[in-house]
Amino acid sequence: MSTFSGLNAATTALWANRRGLDVTGQNIANVNTDGYSRQRVDFAAVGGSTVPAFFSTSPGIGQGVSADDVMRIRDAFLEGRGHTEHANNAQLIAETDAYELIEQALREPGTTGIQKMLSEVWSGWQDVANNPADTAARGQVLKRMETLAGGLHFSHEQLGGQWTQTRENLSVLVDDVNAAAGNIATLNVAIQRARQNDLPANELADQRDVLVMKLADQIGATVRHGKDGLLDVSVGGMSLVSGGSATTFKLEGAIDADGTGTDPLRITTDVGDFSVRVGGTAGGQLNALNTIIPGYRGQLDTIAANLATEMNAAHGEGYDANGAAGKPLFGTSDGTPITAATIKVMISSTDEIAASLVPGAKNYDRGNADKIAQLATGAGVDAEYRTMIVELGVQSAVSQRNLDIQASITTTVDAARESVAGVNLDEELTNMLSYQQAYAAAGRMITAIDEALDVLINRTGLVGR
Amino acid sequence: MRITQRAVTLTSLQGLNQNLDSLGKLQEQLTSGRMLNAPSDSPTGTNRAMQARAEQEATAQYARNISDGQAWLNQTDSTLQQMLDVTRRVRDLTVQGSNAGALSEVSREALGKEADSLRESLLGLANTTVTGRPLFGGITSGPKAYDSDTGAFVGLVVPGSEIYRRVSSTESVRVDVTGPEAFEVDGLDLFSVVDRIATDLRTDPAGLEQDLEDLDLVMNTMLSAVADIGARSARMDREALINLDQGMALGTRLAEVEDIDLPNTIMRLQMQQTAYEAALSATAKAITPTLLDHLR
Repeated sequence: MSTFSGLNAATTALWANRRGLDVTGQNIANVNTDGYSRQRVDFAAVGGSTVPAFFSTSPGIGQGVSADDVMRIRDAFLEGRGHTEHANNAQLIAETDAYELIEQALREPGTTGIQKMLSEVWSGWQDVANNPADTAARGQVLKRMETLAGGLHFSHEQLGGQWTQTRENLSVLVDDVNAAAGNIATLNVAIQRARQNDLPANELADQRDVLVMKLADQIGATVRHGKDGLLDVSVGGMSLVSGGSATTFKLEGAIDADGTGTDPLRITTDVGDFSVRVGGTAGGQLNALNTIIPGYRGQLDTIAANLATEMNAAHGEGYDANGAAGKPLFGTSDGTPITAATIKVMISSTDEIAASLVPGAKNYDRGNADKIAQLATGAGVDAEYRTMIVELGVQSAVSQRNLDIQASITTTVDAARESVAGVNLDEELTNMLSYQQAYAAAGRMITAIDEALDVLINRTGLVGR
Repeated sequence: MRITQRAVTLTSLQGLNQNLDSLGKLQEQLTSGRMLNAPSDSPTGTNRAMQARAEQEATAQYARNISDGQAWLNQTDSTLQQMLDVTRRVRDLTVQGSNAGALSEVSREALGKEADSLRESLLGLANTTVTGRPLFGGITSGPKAYDSDTGAFVGLVVPGSEIYRRVSSTESVRVDVTGPEAFEVDGLDLFSVVDRIATDLRTDPAGLEQDLEDLDLVMNTMLSAVADIGARSARMDREALINLDQGMALGTRLAEVEDIDLPNTIMRLQMQQTAYEAALSATAKAITPTLLDHLR
């Protein structure tokens, strides 16, 4: 046992506690940093030789403390759960947003929606029935039908605009995902090298975790831990990042809302064109683009077509102001099937409104106008439109409720993650105090040994001087 | 469970946000006065609101139809009353002509002239128009129901094309009476009978007996037309009352679904405000202290 081994042990203590204070400082500095995981110094008592030999014996007393390792405290299972829940949350947010935008586009219930326009058309027909001779009443119903056609166009266009915007967002999101995947691959390489050289890479790992969480939000990514600190990222079973290399995804499919039936939107791998089952925001937006928005556009189209069929049939049974049979009221300018986007009032003259049910010479019978006005009741277009709005309301409300539930689950998981990885200031301050005390104690230890040695060196052998 | 400052901050923030969110929703309801702002607020409520709105629109239209129909019926009634007055004068002349066998040629001519002019006035009344359409002309597009010279019916009456006004989604009330219905019976019509009386007054006093009988028959028809119009008018008035009630009921129904309950909402806002303030002060208390406060 060396004379100075006590000093050495005290020095390691000084050094280790300094290290502890440094790490505490880092923790306190990052108490509010997003994605930061608290760090802890692993102290280990330095013992004797592990393999005693003739010239390598231990005195039985340890030789101080070692504080080489700085651990990053994070629970990989909780992180995995966090990825899943965040992806679900993001997907529901995207879907709920889509429903909310559709509700705004249809403006129901209120005085500006299609329901009101329909009601006004039926009223207009009753005014014609009240006085078929009045050209003002006839002109009014004509204009009201044009307003209705315009309202259908407008709502249809709004949904189309929403579709285009969502598609653009999704395409930007895919670019973002590719960039993040590239960054993760780069970080993977850096972390691997650091690990191989036994250097700490905690901050790099934190950065990588933030990126992975972002990917989970955006596209529903999941991870698998490899050796040397590598992290593989996959989406729906397709590998996105594998070690130091990242693949890229791309968005494929129709470029306008009408094409989704034949060419649905999908995210595929850049190489090989394999389609990827995505989650997260991308999953929600794909659902909105392929199902939700085209669904309501389709329903509007059906309503427009049914409106035209019903009114054209009724109008055709009547006779106009010149005694001729009623022409179709609604059609399209180029003869294509009627949709909410193409529906158009086909008659322009007030004389062409077929209010009469009596054939032959010009007369002012009101029968047909009354019959058309009565299309408002029963299982007509009005009821069909109401059904669509109620269905939209139900789906939107369900989506909002699901989001509420998912949000509270996500919060719980986030809280659990935070409780493992977050910095607690009280704890850090307590640690700080104990490191400080230990440091002072080690200093005192050195003084004590120093004094002992001083006695030995300077005061011994002075007898009789 | 380990609790960290950041977790406390995050949960506090989330709670505050939730509080503020509900506060904002209540405020939105109060300022807009509406409970239903999107279908998802209440899908069934939306359905009821949309139905009520459509029915309100229809009821307003029925109200217009009814007042239009009432105008038509009133005009018909007063025209028929005037025509009855004129016809009674014709009857007086006929009685006068048939009783006084000793009337001079000149007096007979005078009676005949008066009967002629009364016939003209009857034809004029029979061609009364409402908004440009002859009252008794059926669905004719022409300006007259009767030819002013011959007294022949020139309107257009097709079975099943009577003029109705729709007073509710299921009911329609007929508002017109056609010339043939009001002035013709058993092949006799008012204008030809009066024409015959004018001739008989001058030339054939003996024929006036038969003329008087015929005129009475025609007058009875006119009286029953007036009675008919009166009955329909009464029905129209009743429908107007029903329509008014319906309109008010619909307004209440819509308000129930769409509008906020003011006292209730204000109470809830007040409670939410208290909750929000409590959350704020709790947060302020929970976030501030750390061990730092107690270290030298």
